[in-house]
Amino acid sequence: MNQRTETGWKPKPQHPSRDAAVLRAPKFMLSDHALPWLTPLLAMLLVFALYPFFYNIWLSMHEFVPRKRALEWVGGDNWVKLFADTRMWGALGVTLLYTAFCLIVQLVLGMGIALLLDSDDPGFGFLRGVLTLTLVIPPAITGMMFLLLEDAQFGVFTYALQQLGILGTSPILGNSSTALLGVMIADIWQWTPFMVLIFLAGLRAMPTEPFESALIDGASSWQIFRRLTLPMLGKVIAIAVLIRGIDLFRTFDYVYVMTSGGPGTATYTLSLYAWQQTFSFIKWGYGATISLFSLLVILIVANVFVALTKLRW
Amino acid sequence: MRFNHNNRKRYIASITDQFVKGKIDRRTFMRTAAKLGLGVGALGAASMLPPGGRGGFISEARAQDIVQDPDMMAWLKEAAKPFAGQTVRLATESTPPSNAINSALKPFFEEATGIKVEIEVLPLEQVLQKLTLDVASGLGTYDLYYIDQSWMASFAGDVIDPREKYESSSDLAMPNYNMDDFLPALVDGISMYDGIMVGVPYDIPIFITMYRKDIYEELGLSVPTTMEQYLANAQAIQAAKGPDIYGTTGQMKSGHYSLECDWTCWLWAHGGSIFGPDGKFTGNDEAGLAAMDYWNKLKENMPEGVTTWTWDGQGQSVLQGIAGQALSWGEFFPWWDDPEASKVSGLMEAAVPPAPTTALRTETGFGEIPGVGHQGGSSLAVSKYSKNQDAAWLFAQWATSMDTQVYITTLGGGTGPTRESVYDDERVKANNRVGAGTTRHLDVVRETIASHMGSEPDLPEWAELSNDTIPVELGRYFAGDYDSPKEVMDAIAKKVDDIVSG
Repeated sequence: MNQRTETGWKPKPQHPSRDAAVLRAPKFMLSDHALPWLTPLLAMLLVFALYPFFYNIWLSMHEFVPRKRALEWVGGDNWVKLFADTRMWGALGVTLLYTAFCLIVQLVLGMGIALLLDSDDPGFGFLRGVLTLTLVIPPAITGMMFLLLEDAQFGVFTYALQQLGILGTSPILGNSSTALLGVMIADIWQWTPFMVLIFLAGLRAMPTEPFESALIDGASSWQIFRRLTLPMLGKVIAIAVLIRGIDLFRTFDYVYVMTSGGPGTATYTLSLYAWQQTFSFIKWGYGATISLFSLLVILIVANVFVALTKLRW
Repeated sequence: MRFNHNNRKRYIASITDQFVKGKIDRRTFMRTAAKLGLGVGALGAASMLPPGGRGGFISEARAQDIVQDPDMMAWLKEAAKPFAGQTVRLATESTPPSNAINSALKPFFEEATGIKVEIEVLPLEQVLQKLTLDVASGLGTYDLYYIDQSWMASFAGDVIDPREKYESSSDLAMPNYNMDDFLPALVDGISMYDGIMVGVPYDIPIFITMYRKDIYEELGLSVPTTMEQYLANAQAIQAAKGPDIYGTTGQMKSGHYSLECDWTCWLWAHGGSIFGPDGKFTGNDEAGLAAMDYWNKLKENMPEGVTTWTWDGQGQSVLQGIAGQALSWGEFFPWWDDPEASKVSGLMEAAVPPAPTTALRTETGFGEIPGVGHQGGSSLAVSKYSKNQDAAWLFAQWATSMDTQVYITTLGGGTGPTRESVYDDERVKANNRVGAGTTRHLDVVRETIASHMGSEPDLPEWAELSNDTIPVELGRYFAGDYDSPKEVMDAIAKKVDDIVSG
């Protein structure tokens, strides 16, 4: 029942304790202003993104001196060192090659498999579910698995390739010309299903009418794929490429587990190099510089890609 | 707990049954068994029962009711009273002593002292990272440091000298601890840097010759006493048994410390050294190139996979019976002798390393001591940043005491003890027979430590040089990126000298 007050009627409190709590809450929490609602997100951003980012910039201008157990100001020395470091450029080259190759293979394979699985026939739902299995395996475990599969003495994969005459006696991961490919196979095996799932989601969300019209007009399967499926799937493909591309650029697990960057520096990626400088040799400043450089490369490439593909967020 | 005889037996049967069926874990089982006066030997009773609950590496102590030295444990109990409830942390490589302590012996220390022990067992390179971060931050996350001999110079300023601690804290000085019992060569090789005792000698993996007795007998080969003979034996095995069985094996993964270990062995065996007295890299001199030539010939008799293997792969290759001989870590030997894990149990024999081709070099830099028996020992040190230094010091003494080292060795650890007296202990000698945890290679280990041991140089940059610069370039060489040994050695010389000179 409502109560009469001097200013009019107001609802009778149904839950007195809750209303009391509301009354005790700070005023700004009850306002319609956006700030209170954004505060948790801003706090998260500040703690987990902005602070580490600015700290990284600060760190890149310092270097840890082991004998003094302290950081010392070095200004731009780390950046000068970075651009003169041939090993860093080698690592960048390996990273770009790794990213490009894996991306292309995963894109083509992912699209092919997605088209094959885009069906409502019995059993296809199960197959689509099975595809997610590789994604739940930690990459380090996948790396260990392929390390054993590609072992020169005990590896099943090596044995099969040798029997087929594709591979000689040289170990896959011990040879400069095949080691990177050996690592990429693990990545492709694990992450192609991710592409398949994204493409499948896009394919199954497409309207059927244009395809029915095309069939009535006598279009071939290739023409339908090229003139309908691909253009209509364009944004989905662009998103998939962007996400996987950034992920591939940061590759660390497979390389660390399978080759440690070797033989020599044949599989040394930028992430592995930054990690090694930071954690193995405690060159915190230089490690931070390499990380910032990686970030810059990703930002530039990603923005150029977004502009070219006219992606809108 | 008080039991009469019958109840006690019934209770033992009950907990053993539960352990075998997996209803209680090893630790609970051992704690309960210890209260009944059975100690680790109780595991023996469990292991004789049908399979089900047995696990871990303990396999040889089952016949013995080992109980730790009561005097030592009583002293620990008393000395640790002020520190009961504290926790000490150690990050260590997965080595036999650490595994034995972590999986079997730790509860005895915890029971006696009330001090909790947390041990992180990690790959060697991760231990280095943890240590480096700990000393860099000065947080004292770890109370104890596992310090590989190649890192001594890097951490000498971050630890408490155990000799000083022993003398300055008399109430915490374990009676009969006997510092002089540690093998003198080890104290010099793995514990001392620039007059500071960095830690207490903890373990001593060392290169010894290990060979397949059956193949040697079949082919009429004799135990190699020279490097030429070692190579000839490898070639003979390869010719007669290949490709199923290779002449020898290796640990040659690019960019890994194990590759550097193999290299130093061949380098020292040819009269070379890593550094000259002037502190310059000398691996590219005549002796260094002779070593590379020898290594190349030897590699022709190794499995193709050696360039992707660290010590794990090398150990596996012998274990699987595909290599006829190895000049490598002696701690492999008890593993290879384990009939449950190995195809070569009882077939392996040990010998001291072959003599060098020319006299070992004496003029070196940074305290390097050439010797064919490359050692990879480590010491256990108390961190000066630790907030529980006294508790950590008690643990360090217990872990390196004569009694605990006997346990470590007899429980199947297989590493060479760092104390003289352990080699002579009857319990250790009793395991001188074929089987898991054998100690039949220890006489060879002892002689190698005394007469053939080689130690790497001590300099702050050595961790980077030995874990990256040298093994990365050697990896590139074996992958075909360099045209000649001279080219790769000159490249290493330039990089090493640049890093050392800052």
